[in-house]
Amino acid sequence: MLKYLAKRGITYVVMIFLTTSAGYFLAVSSLKPALLEQERIPRPTPEQVADSMRLKGLDPDLSPWERYVDWLTAIVTRWDWGRSPNGAYINAEFGDRVWISTRLFLASIVLTLVIGVALGVYSAARQYKFQDRVITSYSYLAHIVPAPIAYFLVQLGAININESVGERIFYVTGISTPGVEPGWPQFVDMLAHYVVPTVAITLVGWGAYQIAQRQYLLDNVNADFVRTARAKGLSRNQAIARHALRVSFIPVAQSIAFTIPAIFAGGFFAEKIFAWPGVGSWSIDAISLQDVNAATATLAYGSVIFAIGAVLADFATTLVDPRVRVQ
Amino acid sequence: MSSETTTGATGSARPDVERLHVAGLHAASDAVLSVRDLNVRFNSENGVVHAVRGVDFDLMPGKTLGIVGESGSGKSVTSLAIMGLLPPTAEVTGSVRLKGRELLGLSDKAMCEFRGNDLAMVFQDPLSSLTPVFTVGTQIMEALTIHHPAMSRTAKEARAVELLAMVGIPSPKDRLKAFPHEFSGGMRQRVMIAIAIANNPRVLIADEPTTALDVTIQAQVLEVLHTAQEETGAAVVMITHDLGVVAGMADDIMVMYAGKPVETGAVDDIYYNPRMPYTMGLLGAVPRVDAAEKSSLVPIEGMPPNLIHTPTGCSFAPRCPLASDACLDGEPPLAPVAGGALHRAACIKSESLGGTVDVHDVFTAPPVPLSRFDAIPRAERSTVLQLKDVRKHFPLTRGALIKRRIGTVKAVDGLSFDIREGECFSIVGESGSGKTTTLLEIMEFHPDQDGEVVIGGLSNKQAADAKTKGRMRRELQMVFQDPTGALDPRFTVYEVLAEPLQNAGMDRAAIRKRIMELMRLVGLQPDHVNRFPNQFSGGQRQRIGIARALAVNPKLVVLDEPVSALDVSVQAGVINLLDHLRAELGLSYLLVAHDLSVVRHISNRVAVMYLGKIVEIGAVDRVFDNPRHPYTRALLSAIPVPDPQLERTRERIILQGDLPSPLQAPKGCNFATRCPVFAALPPGKQEKCLTLEPPLEPAASATDQQFACFFPDGEMDEDMLVVHEPADHVAP
Repeated sequence: MLKYLAKRGITYVVMIFLTTSAGYFLAVSSLKPALLEQERIPRPTPEQVADSMRLKGLDPDLSPWERYVDWLTAIVTRWDWGRSPNGAYINAEFGDRVWISTRLFLASIVLTLVIGVALGVYSAARQYKFQDRVITSYSYLAHIVPAPIAYFLVQLGAININESVGERIFYVTGISTPGVEPGWPQFVDMLAHYVVPTVAITLVGWGAYQIAQRQYLLDNVNADFVRTARAKGLSRNQAIARHALRVSFIPVAQSIAFTIPAIFAGGFFAEKIFAWPGVGSWSIDAISLQDVNAATATLAYGSVIFAIGAVLADFATTLVDPRVRVQ
Repeated sequence: MSSETTTGATGSARPDVERLHVAGLHAASDAVLSVRDLNVRFNSENGVVHAVRGVDFDLMPGKTLGIVGESGSGKSVTSLAIMGLLPPTAEVTGSVRLKGRELLGLSDKAMCEFRGNDLAMVFQDPLSSLTPVFTVGTQIMEALTIHHPAMSRTAKEARAVELLAMVGIPSPKDRLKAFPHEFSGGMRQRVMIAIAIANNPRVLIADEPTTALDVTIQAQVLEVLHTAQEETGAAVVMITHDLGVVAGMADDIMVMYAGKPVETGAVDDIYYNPRMPYTMGLLGAVPRVDAAEKSSLVPIEGMPPNLIHTPTGCSFAPRCPLASDACLDGEPPLAPVAGGALHRAACIKSESLGGTVDVHDVFTAPPVPLSRFDAIPRAERSTVLQLKDVRKHFPLTRGALIKRRIGTVKAVDGLSFDIREGECFSIVGESGSGKTTTLLEIMEFHPDQDGEVVIGGLSNKQAADAKTKGRMRRELQMVFQDPTGALDPRFTVYEVLAEPLQNAGMDRAAIRKRIMELMRLVGLQPDHVNRFPNQFSGGQRQRIGIARALAVNPKLVVLDEPVSALDVSVQAGVINLLDHLRAELGLSYLLVAHDLSVVRHISNRVAVMYLGKIVEIGAVDRVFDNPRHPYTRALLSAIPVPDPQLERTRERIILQGDLPSPLQAPKGCNFATRCPVFAALPPGKQEKCLTLEPPLEPAASATDQQFACFFPDGEMDEDMLVVHEPADHVAP
């Protein structure tokens, strides 16, 4: 297994290197931060702009290849991912933002998976009954409604509650209120900020898992081996719980393993709408702000997350399915 | 999770009086399983399907009942109804009593007490019937845990090992931790039997337990079932479509048709003195592997009725050659027949169908067709297909990036044979012996092939351009195993048949004329050309497949298992058609089939393949009547014959294990690992088998028979020979 993981690891490192390098060349040749600088008032002279850029390691006069070599050398020798046009250090910014994204998504993705899989099993066992119809229709609806609209609706709901109670219980945007004293009040403040985005992301997210788990389980409910289990003397429900569930979980486990690293990558819409400045919104902002280094860094991070997800998915499959052999 | 299965919900809704009446019908108190007036209905989109209509039987302890019928006759539904495993939407009425206790109407939970305990079942498809993610040991021990929760883990493990040993799995202790995918089909069916007999059931239901298996493996599994029955003393319900399989095992037979038992009785009564035309037809429709005489098979025309409409007369009347107006007046009841003690038949004419009436008197079998080539000696006929030392080796590699060659799979290894005009040549062997690869090599037409394939005078070595390939392809056409899968569902029959003709460059008028001709030729109505394949039955679809193959007037037709997907009564019609076409059109056939009875019936010559090599080849009667190679002998011995007395007394060769993996193939004779003769040889002679490869040499006495064995007709190892003790069968 270790040998297999090492082999896969090397493949992915090569892949990430190639993607990131290609991304860097694309960014460096299309993003021109100097142009934005010139829109400042008072307008700086081109020489001033070039000087300021040169100081941050973003010299527009160098060729893309020269800049690429400099950029790569800095990463390999000092693990320095460069600076933004506004002077911020990518490394520092990145650390903050990953933590924010993680906090925003951690609870909601765990809830999404647990609720989605549980409801999938529940509704499969009641196929075409009232509960199944309600749950599955909801899941399809959650698929259809664009995420930002659903987030807004949850925000509106929270505001309504606030208004009807006449007190501000939930915060619909932001991470925390500045100046709250530490200890219990800070904890309550954190919860008040945390509830709305978590609920919103969870409500939108579980549908996909519910539909998948329901479908995979239904595929197995009438399988021959479930009939064998019943012929041994298990009741229908016992046979499904012990035999069909485990088999139907194989493909779901794979997609779960793929999703978990996404917690750390964040999401653009949620971060924007709930005003949590995480990695997701950063990656989009980087492009509009002509920020070569930030854009490349988020791209590299995305590839790493994907690679970890793929390895985890392989790992999860070998864990739950004895038929998969690692060679 | 879901609500309980309501198997007998409507049963309990019946008036009490009627239920008491039904229960009062239980006469045999000593029967271990007693079924009365079992009815099963399914709601479908087209209406209520009455799948089982009034099944009655009593099963005595330790006895075997064979339920025989074609697909759709309700035999599997009957078994699932007894087990309480039908979907909740099925409506089951009547009475099923196990040791006197009524099972119908019990909840799913209450049934759990019986299922797997007193009442166990073995299913048809061993590949999908075991849970893939649990070890075999876990699955056997689960059956024990459910009914003996107090049993200790070590005791359960010991019992599981004992069970695996009983069903003949080598080194059972290590195999407990194996997963189902590490077992072959036959081994998995053994595990299924081990699970079923884990709690010493009183009744064991086996639903087509060997249909998915090779004949040699079928013989092994039937032997295991026999042992299991002896060990546990269970009564067995054996459900099958194969009259041969139950002939040697069953004490009683129930023949089902259209959801109803149409004839019941002791096994000898049914086989030697059938009183219902359907039973006679079934017996006459199966070719016999032990009979050389060439008479046409008896086809049963038509299709089983649609069970949405309750038949007003005898359900078999539309297909019965003896049907008269009286037959259409109400369904005949199952009435006692003079002669057999418990022999009953549902036919108003059963009295006139006594022992002297031959099946050919009832059903009209077509005359044996005579080909114009039959009179010409084989050596003087021209060769249609010739294979010279054809090989197909696949490299077996390991590793993802850098592939290392760890061995070679010799799928076809030096094959040479020829097919003359007007003859049918068959290839037989277990799955994995290389039959299909041989066909693929013949159809390949590529100069780079290892070996030469000559089709109608054109060699594959010349087949460099598309034109030559086209000419070769026109000489040779193919009919496939699964008629449903081989026809495009969105093509009408006309389009299916027109396609090869358009490729041949015919004009529209000529195509139309040819299609009408083809339809008549294969026995279909020409005005059905605009129908789609799904509007035809399985047998008719296979006829369309044959018509498509014949469209371009080939000299040779390759038949890949042409009748294995068809029911026996339909199969007979297709076999007769093939026989007739061969004679009328002077065709040659290359037939691949696992059913040796069919092979014997239709072929002139036969080749027996084992691990890519021909081990015996020759005229079909010579090879089948006087097999010399131990593998041919074992293969022929594995075929059950629909003759109870013969089946009970004959000696059978039970080969050990499965086809070996190509990596384990010995250097000398491929068959040595499983050979019953080899096992009995003294070590000095064994050495010869292990080191030298026996060449294919003609038998001294015969003109047309060759085999590859150093010790033909050798003594067989006694462990591999089985003769069943003559049981206490009641003579008819």
